Amino acid sequence: MKSQFWGLYSREILRTFRNPLVLLLTLVQPFMWLAFFGSAWSHVASQESQYFGSGNYIAFLLPGVLSTSMLSVGMFGAMSTIQDKRFGFMKRILITPTTKEVIFLSKTLGSATRGLVQIPIMIFAAYLWGVHFGAVTPIEWAAWGVMLFFLAMGFSSLFLAVTAPSTDWQTPAVLANFVTMPFMFASAALVPTPGFPGWMKVISDLNPITYSALLGRAFVLHQTVPWNYLGIIVGFGVIGLVIGYFVSARWLKVE
Amino acid sequence: MAATDAIEIHGVSKRYGSGERSVLALNGINLTIPKGTVFGLLGPNGAGKTTVIKILTGISPLTDGTASVAGFDVRRESLKVRARIGWVAAEVILDDDFSGWENLQLQARLQQLTDWEERANELLTYFGIADRKADKVSTYSTGMRKKLEIALALLHQPMVIFMDEPTIGLDVGTRRMLWDIVTGIHREFGVTVLLTTHYIEEADALCDRVAIIDQGKIIAEGTPAELKARVKADIVELTLSDGTDPKVLSTLPGVQECRSQGTGWILRVDSSEEFLPRLLSAVPAEHLRRITVEKPSLETVFLQLTGRRMAQDEPMRDIRKFYQQMRRQRL
Repeated sequence: MKSQFWGLYSREILRTFRNPLVLLLTLVQPFMWLAFFGSAWSHVASQESQYFGSGNYIAFLLPGVLSTSMLSVGMFGAMSTIQDKRFGFMKRILITPTTKEVIFLSKTLGSATRGLVQIPIMIFAAYLWGVHFGAVTPIEWAAWGVMLFFLAMGFSSLFLAVTAPSTDWQTPAVLANFVTMPFMFASAALVPTPGFPGWMKVISDLNPITYSALLGRAFVLHQTVPWNYLGIIVGFGVIGLVIGYFVSARWLKVE
Repeated sequence: MAATDAIEIHGVSKRYGSGERSVLALNGINLTIPKGTVFGLLGPNGAGKTTVIKILTGISPLTDGTASVAGFDVRRESLKVRARIGWVAAEVILDDDFSGWENLQLQARLQQLTDWEERANELLTYFGIADRKADKVSTYSTGMRKKLEIALALLHQPMVIFMDEPTIGLDVGTRRMLWDIVTGIHREFGVTVLLTTHYIEEADALCDRVAIIDQGKIIAEGTPAELKARVKADIVELTLSDGTDPKVLSTLPGVQECRSQGTGWILRVDSSEEFLPRLLSAVPAEHLRRITVEKPSLETVFLQLTGRRMAQDEPMRDIRKFYQQMRRQRL
């Protein structure tokens, strides 16, 4: 089982970075977020520094964008599973003594690992835009990385659970479009939530991206760290993993 | 299951879907395949050939009956079965972003092999692609890709290899090459091969034994020679000009059966050599537009058993499969 997992996990990682276009977009995308979205809002934050908790909007935005990137990573994992089914590769894997559970774990953890690659790139980009990380302690760095890994794992697991019984490539794409808006905008990722209308606040409070963004922001902006949020995200990742594991074992469709 | 059998199937049925719209793909089939044979499952598209492979490889659960491969029940001991089988698909399925060697490495990991490198090198040398093992698979020709796929299937020294229409969509040269490979691996590695095909000549050329499957049922089984011996008749197909009375055909001596098909007639006769002079004396030559004579073959066996030709609707289906494959490659 260990060698099967390692074979499929390393395939997930390697095939992403062997495609020059995928590699380029993975590296450039974080810069684009900070460049376009960050620059567009930076003058607002400089005038409303109390509302944003910082006069530097990039510093405010970075933890939110990192969190929403983990959502994209999860969607990508689901799409690669559909692709394996459509090209028959899933059948090739399953006509070996490999279980559906191993396939699920390799896909999920492969996606989560892929997501981690964006973190140092994005932090470097934010540094170039004038964000200072000098006060972030090693424990906080580690906690931030762990939290983002669990967030990516949770999203990846849930997307895989939804797409496990499907072979239709449109399903993950439509689903991604459908959930991106509420996950991204009904959260603390891009703007502070106190200004939200009541119904949006409810969604935001249920949204793991909110907790991830707030915890990361506390590290970057040297605010009081709500450590319980780390527990919430780890819980989200573990629950997602358990749901995905059992759904895939039961319903992962081969073709 | 006898120790000499590689595959045993008892009363296996497979139903896809449920309720009124369900389809019975296999209808209580029985089959025993001895170890070390090249066994052909011959039938038109939609007959149930691929479903048999899906059940035996554990990809699809059977609805009823029992089946075992290499001595293990496909339902209860699926992982043990899958450790002892290899699979070659109709369309080549490889990871194009990886080299030939990396594809073998992944297969070795999936099969939980430890000392696989020497075996992999031997296989690559046997198939004549050792010098390209470090190259990306996307740069391989179709023939090389097929060879690599077969090398993957043989890497863990399986007892049985399943080949699901392995030559579909291939040009004549590559198809011939693949036939040589099937014969070769059977001889060299002593592996049992279960091959599905709808190409008559393929089953005839490669298989020690053949089962003919149609509409989910095995309708005949035996060596190609045994099956052909069942047809104690030659087939004569005729197209007559308008105004010729076809009744004259059935009254000619030696005619076993006379049937219309489309614009022509199909006759089963004791001996075409004796029948043709009688035909020419009974029907003026100018009324005969076309005559074809067919000696006993697996095609005539199928025709005799089902009343249809196996290849009747094959070309269009092949084209559909081809375009389906092209679309997948483009995605």
